[in-house]
Amino acid sequence: MIEFHNVTRTYARKVAVDGLTLTVRAGELFALLGPNGAGKTTTIKLLTGLLQPTAGQVRVCGHDLAGDVRQATRAIGYVPDEPFLYEKLSGREFLEFAAEMRGLDRPAVARAIERECRNFALKDFLDDLTETYSHGTKQRLVFAAALLHDPPAVVVDEPMVGLDPLGVRVVKDRLRTVASTGSAVFMSTHTLAIAEELADRIGIMNQGRLHFLGTKSELQRHLASRETSLESLFLEMTEGTDGYGKTGEEDGAPRHGGNHQASTHRQEALPLPPSPS
Amino acid sequence: MASPSTSASLSLPAAVAASPREFISPADEGAAFQRMRRRIVATVAWQTLSQSWFRVALVAVLTGLLWSGLFWMFLDGFGFLRTIIPDVDTRVRTVSAVFGTFFAALMVMLVFSSGIILYGSLFCSKETAFLLTTPARTERVFLHKFQEALLLSSWGFVLLGSPILLAYGVVARASWYYYVLLLPYLLAFIYIPVAIGAILCLIVVRHIPNGRMMVVIGGGVLFLVGAVWLAWSTLGATENELLTSDWFQRVLGRLPFSERRLLPSWWLSSGLLGASGRIWSDSVLFLVLMISNALFFRQLACWTAARLFRVSYSGLYGRPQRRRRARSHRFDRGLSAALAFLPVTTRLLIVKDLRLFRRDPLQWLQFLIFLGLLALYFLNIRRFMSGVNYAGWVNMISFLNLAVVGLLLSTFMTRFVFPLISLEGRRFWILGLLPMRRDTILWSKLLFAVGGSIVPCTSLVLLSDLILGVPRLVVFSHQVTCVLLCLGLSGIAVGLGARFPNFREQSPSRIAAGFGGTLNLVVSTLYIVTVVLLTAVPTHFYLAAEDSASPSSLEKVMPGIDKQANVQWHRYSTSAQADQPSEVQWWLKLWWGAGSLGSILLGSIATGLPLYVGFRAFRRMDF
Repeated sequence: MIEFHNVTRTYARKVAVDGLTLTVRAGELFALLGPNGAGKTTTIKLLTGLLQPTAGQVRVCGHDLAGDVRQATRAIGYVPDEPFLYEKLSGREFLEFAAEMRGLDRPAVARAIERECRNFALKDFLDDLTETYSHGTKQRLVFAAALLHDPPAVVVDEPMVGLDPLGVRVVKDRLRTVASTGSAVFMSTHTLAIAEELADRIGIMNQGRLHFLGTKSELQRHLASRETSLESLFLEMTEGTDGYGKTGEEDGAPRHGGNHQASTHRQEALPLPPSPS
Repeated sequence: MASPSTSASLSLPAAVAASPREFISPADEGAAFQRMRRRIVATVAWQTLSQSWFRVALVAVLTGLLWSGLFWMFLDGFGFLRTIIPDVDTRVRTVSAVFGTFFAALMVMLVFSSGIILYGSLFCSKETAFLLTTPARTERVFLHKFQEALLLSSWGFVLLGSPILLAYGVVARASWYYYVLLLPYLLAFIYIPVAIGAILCLIVVRHIPNGRMMVVIGGGVLFLVGAVWLAWSTLGATENELLTSDWFQRVLGRLPFSERRLLPSWWLSSGLLGASGRIWSDSVLFLVLMISNALFFRQLACWTAARLFRVSYSGLYGRPQRRRRARSHRFDRGLSAALAFLPVTTRLLIVKDLRLFRRDPLQWLQFLIFLGLLALYFLNIRRFMSGVNYAGWVNMISFLNLAVVGLLLSTFMTRFVFPLISLEGRRFWILGLLPMRRDTILWSKLLFAVGGSIVPCTSLVLLSDLILGVPRLVVFSHQVTCVLLCLGLSGIAVGLGARFPNFREQSPSRIAAGFGGTLNLVVSTLYIVTVVLLTAVPTHFYLAAEDSASPSSLEKVMPGIDKQANVQWHRYSTSAQADQPSEVQWWLKLWWGAGSLGSILLGSIATGLPLYVGFRAFRRMDF
């Protein structure tokens, strides 16, 4: 469903994503972890067509994001980390617009809005202007808009930011449900616990490269063999580039950029398990 | 809030990717965008009318006044042209050159403004990033933003262009279809430069993303240099030759570009002049030419966007960003040292506000550009005033200059100082927890405003006075009035800013555009007018009384007057001076003194009262 074939994206001399090869299959929930400046947001922007790769190919449901961007974006439901809403539209009007853009006809739009409003508990706010929404309600509305057209690929950047515990529960359940009905879910997050709880497969990215890629059971085996936690493993892999020291932004590269200086000994210590695909 | 569903009650999609039909058709896509925009416009209109009726009414009245003023001015101008150029052909040629030059200049400005507006809306807006992640056609996203740019960059053109064209129609006794064709002509004309600006914007971002600012600055400088050169070469004649038949012929000869037949500005002026002269075939022909070109350029812009927009967007965000290090500037350190006499908290707050102001080029650039333009005007005022020696006129101009400085200051106070308290609202968790009184915050804003305005404003007014050569008494009076203006306007802006804060908005311009900001602008304007009148009117009469007694004043007012008449005037004025009772002089002095005292009193009230109200509201305010 979602495929990265040897994808590289550079910002002048800075390499933000370095030779990324990854496949997220239908029905799989993939979590991408990494510190600030690791290349996660660049990866997501490449996947949503906002950025084009310097080399390689990104495909969604077989459609190349560079050559067939409309087909590819139609197959995607995207929830950005800083969602955009038309403040002078009501929630319903925003959802109608998002659904119409995806080619849903009027009856399908009404059914989809009804369904997602139920799923995300939006009914009480639906006819209010979105400028009056709390951050959590806005986030839930964006989730609803992204899932209206039953997308085969769902891309989520930092899904739990600003949500209250109830909202977090709803979003977690919905993401799992979406994956279980056959969609490929690509989630980028800082929150290790969310990744551990939800993901079928986890990737740890640092300085534009995947330093770990494996299923949850592979990860658990790996953690058990090293008698460590995911947090410790994450910190070990991203040591020195944890976002509190040097980041891409501070080095002159954009926020989602990173330096390409992959540590050889780390790769030897933590060989990438083969992709299930 | 309704209780959210749990996993058990979640309804599942019937089948992944089963429901969407093929892509939405271009017509439906356009309709969806239109519907979305219509809803937004309706909401904004309803909100504005229900919540900011005062501002709407004020804007409508001021716009109406400006439009009417322009209309009457051009009506007079075209009437004057009709009187001094009786030959119809020469007159039409002159008007054609004026229209051609005016519309050509506006066209260049529209290319620039639309290019800059489109850069902001296509490449820096969150909405565009959102739309690009949807399956909306790239050219549709472009067109959506293009139409916005069309509206934003053309309202000024319509506001300026419509009174000129209507005035000409009235003077030329144009037929009814001249007025009918005006709107389609203007719309078709606007499309062309906006589309060219859009194409240039896309090409520049695609091919020189790092040098885009240099291109804009370079283009702007070239345009300004060209405009100054043109104005100088066209109008740089001595005043003796002004407005003669020869002068008109020479000016027309210097404007060959206004007759370039490939320019849409020429099509526009020729078409409209054809309509006003009842040559309907010409007017329709040029209208068709304009519309077909407008559609062609629109299509060309869409075609360019379909090929360049996404790749330009990706390229723009793929360039390395410059590190922005915040260093302690020597200016901050100097200010801190200069304000050593203030309590440390007040000093720190002032330095913080200045630092924020300094690091936002949008703020200080506007300030600098307007001050620079005013300084330029003051430096050249002697040239405009050459031959005018009558003290009353010079005095009047000097007071008008003072009022202009005050009005400029009031707009800056409304735009930059008034929103300061509102902007602190979201940061109040920092300031509110500091060990200081709330009053300190307002005092620091007041000192920041007064300190930041007093030096440039008094310097500008002094420059104007020195160039005009007004008496010392007037210079002194202007300086005192200017200080009063700075104090009063700062007091009004800080006081009303604290009394009518808007903590929901983050944008200073939106805060300034609200009820409080509008009230601030109105009160400030009234204050300026009153203070300036209180000092200007007595000074004017006082100087006029002195000047009327001067035997040579008639020659100054009317150079070249018959010698005998001047002698008679000399006798009359000398006897008048002798007859003028000292009581009148005394009363005039008293009036002048009372006016000055009144302005000081008003300045104190304008500074103190809003501050009192603002302090009281700010102390009680919940954040």
